[in-house]
Amino acid sequence: MIKKMLSAAVLSTALFVSNAFAKETVVWWDFLGGGDGVRMKQLIADFNKAHADTVEIQATTLEWGVPFYTKVQTSAAVGEAPDVMTYHASRIPLAVSQGILQEITADDWKAMGIGQADYAPAIWDAITNEGKQYAVPLDTHPIVLYYNKDILGKAGLLDENGKPKGFNGADNFKAAMQKAKDAGAKWGIAGVTADGNFMYRTIYSLMGQQDGQLMTDGKFLEGDNAKKLENSLALLADWTKSGLQSPYTDYPAAVALFTSGSAAMMINGVWEVPTMTDLQKQGKLFNWGAIELPVLFAHASTYADSHAFAVPANKGKETSAEKRKATLEVMSWMNKNSLFWATAGHIPAYGPISAMDDYKKMEPNATYSPLTANMIFDPKSTVFGVAGPVFDVMSTHFVPTLNGEMDPAAAVEKIKADLDNM
Amino acid sequence: MLRNIRSETLIAGFLLLPFFAVYGLVFVYPTVQMFITSFTDAPLIGDGKWVGWQNYARLPNDRMFILALWNTSYFVVLSVVPGTVVALFVALGVSRLKGWLQSAVLALFFLPYILPVGVVYFLWDWILNYQFGIGMHGLEYLGLERAPVFKTLTWFLPATALVTIWWTAGFSFLLFLAGIRAIPPEIYEAATLDNAGRWRTFRSITWPLLWPVTALVLTIQMILQLKIFDQVYLFSIGGRPNDTMVMVQYIYTRAFVNNQGGRAAAIAVTLFAIVIIISVFQFQLLRMVGGSDRK
Repeated sequence: MIKKMLSAAVLSTALFVSNAFAKETVVWWDFLGGGDGVRMKQLIADFNKAHADTVEIQATTLEWGVPFYTKVQTSAAVGEAPDVMTYHASRIPLAVSQGILQEITADDWKAMGIGQADYAPAIWDAITNEGKQYAVPLDTHPIVLYYNKDILGKAGLLDENGKPKGFNGADNFKAAMQKAKDAGAKWGIAGVTADGNFMYRTIYSLMGQQDGQLMTDGKFLEGDNAKKLENSLALLADWTKSGLQSPYTDYPAAVALFTSGSAAMMINGVWEVPTMTDLQKQGKLFNWGAIELPVLFAHASTYADSHAFAVPANKGKETSAEKRKATLEVMSWMNKNSLFWATAGHIPAYGPISAMDDYKKMEPNATYSPLTANMIFDPKSTVFGVAGPVFDVMSTHFVPTLNGEMDPAAAVEKIKADLDNM
Repeated sequence: MLRNIRSETLIAGFLLLPFFAVYGLVFVYPTVQMFITSFTDAPLIGDGKWVGWQNYARLPNDRMFILALWNTSYFVVLSVVPGTVVALFVALGVSRLKGWLQSAVLALFFLPYILPVGVVYFLWDWILNYQFGIGMHGLEYLGLERAPVFKTLTWFLPATALVTIWWTAGFSFLLFLAGIRAIPPEIYEAATLDNAGRWRTFRSITWPLLWPVTALVLTIQMILQLKIFDQVYLFSIGGRPNDTMVMVQYIYTRAFVNNQGGRAAAIAVTLFAIVIIISVFQFQLLRMVGGSDRK
């Protein structure tokens, strides 16, 4: 008994001492390995400097995709997950079904001093699952159309402001690609035709332009949705067939084709903005720009996902009130300082930042920012989300279709069969 | 000398205990768990409901499972015997060299084996990149058309098998070399005296005396290639993973991507059974062939 009391006394003294002197550490995991990773490290350093006496972020960058999400899942199950981590909004439904995320409660939002009113409805909806919020959005990262100003200028495709003109409509866009090719580009567009995972973003955008849905009432590609997917595939396959789009090109090769000037345009994520900015700073790049995807079907629509912060539900590990407070401070601070994050190409999710004059002057973000009105997110289901089960199914059939090995209608049939087999 | 059997058994038990403890913890226990999981609908982490044979019953009608089975068999055909033949040829060649030249050539052939799979993947993915790969220039130089090697079904498994042989033949090659060195030179001298030609010498001396090594290499290769995963998975990223799927990759996909631990376990158990049956069968067959060869 005495021994027990003694140890309790020692323990409480230890706790007291650590509370009084040690600052709170927040263990942080992210998957940001590219140009945006460098900028995130800068933000973390800034945070640590601003909180020198109170909170310290201990950050680790892990491998993007399935490796990251598998590690999160297994570590949460044994109570070894971090205090805060980056998460794709599109992966939230799966994460919630696995029970690995903690809810961000109304009290939490209040403590952070941010809330629903600060975010676009589509973003708020993306982090919401059955009425509860599971993450704090940091940005939205849609895909955009990058273009080589020098080539398009020579082809007479730019207006007086240096923005592309006459791109809307499938026929017009195809003609524009041909003009760019005639003006000296080897390819009209650098398509990531050898990476079906990546092309999912473009194809889903094109489906969105026809109001197509991948999933309705728990069923895949019901009704004319299959036809809309087929239309999207046929359009892109036709570009390759006509020699306008580079065939069998993987992600790094597509970026190289564009940055070397071989391809006049490229559809890619906004996260490649730092690549272009940095190359141009070194004098190694032509004049370039980025715009919202042109309307190739009925109306504007662009696939987007959102990087958000989530708090893992660590099994068998109680979070102290101090730790929770520190974690909330991290998420809140990152949102309020996300102007710098926008230099990574991303569109800040936090409304007061994207409303700032400094942001509105930032290029090329300002040019493509209006697309936020036309964003579509992944369907809310446990099988969707980046690097989720649907990715492999789509990839398997996109690659042969885009390169003319498979008929679009046959591909849609097979995609449907594979989706139903999941 | 008198032996105290009881104390010897005790010592033996004591010496073996650490092994059995570790073996039990990291092999036997997880294997038993896997069998149990395969009868449940468990997700990747956590427990599931008992579903009996359901996970197994759906396998014969599972397109992906049949495809994975077929692709794995195809890969085995493409890699096991060809890989062994390549290693044998290289070993026969190197064994004729002498001194530092032999060591140098030996090192050259063995070198790829020490590379991690990630390096092997990056190396070949870039060499055979459709747009920028140096290998494509080689094809064009030969007057052939560029081929999207890892993106089309025709080339995917043959190319992956070729890379695998390039990467792993070094190990089989070392086994063969040791086997060749163990053949007493007197036998060759006797054969020379009998005026035996090179083919005759190989057919009647080297091949039969090397047979135990060949059987071993074939068995090791067979087990390894049935469990093929790393290279196939890496080369298929972004490509056509569901069409180039192999067995272990399917287990991985069900468990880690689709979050279906129970179904993954059922496939794993099936593969486990296949590997055991085939390797026992193969080893016995090879022993029989070897036995009849030597009579």
